[in-house]
Amino acid sequence: MLILGIETSCDETAAAVLEIIPTSSRTHDEIGGNSKLEILSNVVSSQIKIHQKYKGIVPEVAARAHFEKILPVLLASLATPARFAGASARRECSAKASLASPNETFARRRDSLDKDQGKTPAVKKMKEIDLIAVTYGPGLVTSLLVGLEAAKTLSYIFKKPLIPVNHLEGHIYANWLTTVALPNIFPSVCLIVSGGHTELLLMKDYGRYQRLGGTRDDAAGECFDKVAKLLNLGYPGGPAIEDCASKFKIPSGSDPTGRRQNSKFKINLPRPMIWSHDFDFSFSGLKTAVLYKTRTSKINKGFVKALACETQESIVDVLITKTIKAVKRFNAKSVILSGGVAANQRLRDQMKKEAEKIGKIFLVPSKNFCTDNAAMIAMAGYFNYCLLNTKQKNKLLYNWQKIEVDSNVNLR
Amino acid sequence: MSISDDMKKITKSEKETFKLGQKLARRLAGGEVIALIGDLGAGKTIFIKGLAKGLGIKQMITSPSFVIMKVYKVKSREIKYLCHIDAYRLTNGQELIDIGINDWLGGKGIVTVIEWADRVKKILPKKRIKIKIDFGKKENERRIKIKHYDANLRI
Repeated sequence: MLILGIETSCDETAAAVLEIIPTSSRTHDEIGGNSKLEILSNVVSSQIKIHQKYKGIVPEVAARAHFEKILPVLLASLATPARFAGASARRECSAKASLASPNETFARRRDSLDKDQGKTPAVKKMKEIDLIAVTYGPGLVTSLLVGLEAAKTLSYIFKKPLIPVNHLEGHIYANWLTTVALPNIFPSVCLIVSGGHTELLLMKDYGRYQRLGGTRDDAAGECFDKVAKLLNLGYPGGPAIEDCASKFKIPSGSDPTGRRQNSKFKINLPRPMIWSHDFDFSFSGLKTAVLYKTRTSKINKGFVKALACETQESIVDVLITKTIKAVKRFNAKSVILSGGVAANQRLRDQMKKEAEKIGKIFLVPSKNFCTDNAAMIAMAGYFNYCLLNTKQKNKLLYNWQKIEVDSNVNLR
Repeated sequence: MSISDDMKKITKSEKETFKLGQKLARRLAGGEVIALIGDLGAGKTIFIKGLAKGLGIKQMITSPSFVIMKVYKVKSREIKYLCHIDAYRLTNGQELIDIGINDWLGGKGIVTVIEWADRVKKILPKKRIKIKIDFGKKENERRIKIKHYDANLRI
């Protein structure tokens, strides 16, 4: 089965083609069992450079950039000759290398379409696609619209089934991109942390979720971004703070528990809500605490490094404590970490340590699949497709008339 | 504690800022545009959380920095929606118009609150309630200035 995934919920324009070959007959229990997975292409074109100028994402800029990039990105994802050239040629396609300037590609595509309609490799490939999966929310409305309209158009023109995918669910399914068949992991506690989301979910089975909690104000990634701005470290804040924190030398002979001590600067940031009785988070106060520190202390390079390190420790501490608490409460078999902030090495290491300490399976996608990408959307689309009955599957052909953007949708 | 049309108030804790928001909510009738101005960490979100509580919203108010705009339903006779906008990442008002803000701004039964309103001044209606939050002398102290567009009207 060939699945085309399209994702434009925030600042990445992405398209990917997955091939999944089920080798056993699928029943509800063994979705994905023994399936073979090939990522034929995974194209991500980021706007980070554009947004760095504004220290954040600007919706109008985002939408315009998506609009310029969606066709070249789609073409690049379809043009990979992998499917026809055999397994040896199948590899991930790096977006940066293959992208020509948008206008040029657009003009070329229009010309080629005029000349011999329906004979270009992309069109040929498009005809082979079995399912189109697209993000419909949550995210920026103007950005989401670009991807969704593109997907609807393709679905209509090529008469392909179209399945809407929740962006958060996509992040979870990024874990299935390394292997389709994961053994006996449910129920699982999922922590999704990114610039816009901090959600703790209980995943009972494929497609069955219970929301345990989430942030009450700022998302964890947003906290990284805003603290980075306070400390003048640049955008995106996550990698900037991680980088700065890694330069902070841990004084030798510090705390035996392994917690890094900021002994020289005596910085102790709060761990917001760490012992509260629910599964909610709050990161707004942490940002304010950092602000106070920068006002009361003399700022030099060493101090910024120490503060960055302590900020990261605080966020990681809270995320891990709440996740592990949920694992114990619901007697989950595994911990799934995903979302852009899951690319933070400190969070990955510590979460793995804590999960394995209590004998749970720990899953996290490789770093390139933590940030927004379309392969994860295609994957989530595949699993949701498998859950449908024949009648529901047939209805997907007419989804292009129905699906609408929903910027604040929740996962249930 | 009473709120008059051009008011200065010093709050000594987050809780007091929250309560001020709650208090203001009870004076609203729908159709107001509230421009909220203050630096990172000033307490804009806390103020809005209070305002939302005052309006009877039970849903969690979270930062809309990522999606720019969040809309909450209000169950009251006059007010139907609270529209929460965050202009933190914007550079000008046109960007707000592009995401459809004119459907909400000043609409009947809609209370619109805009964080970082100083960044999108140009598109805001003249009839607005301006709330400026500044840091006080002490760590948790905030000076809050509320200015109503109609000097004769008491909030």
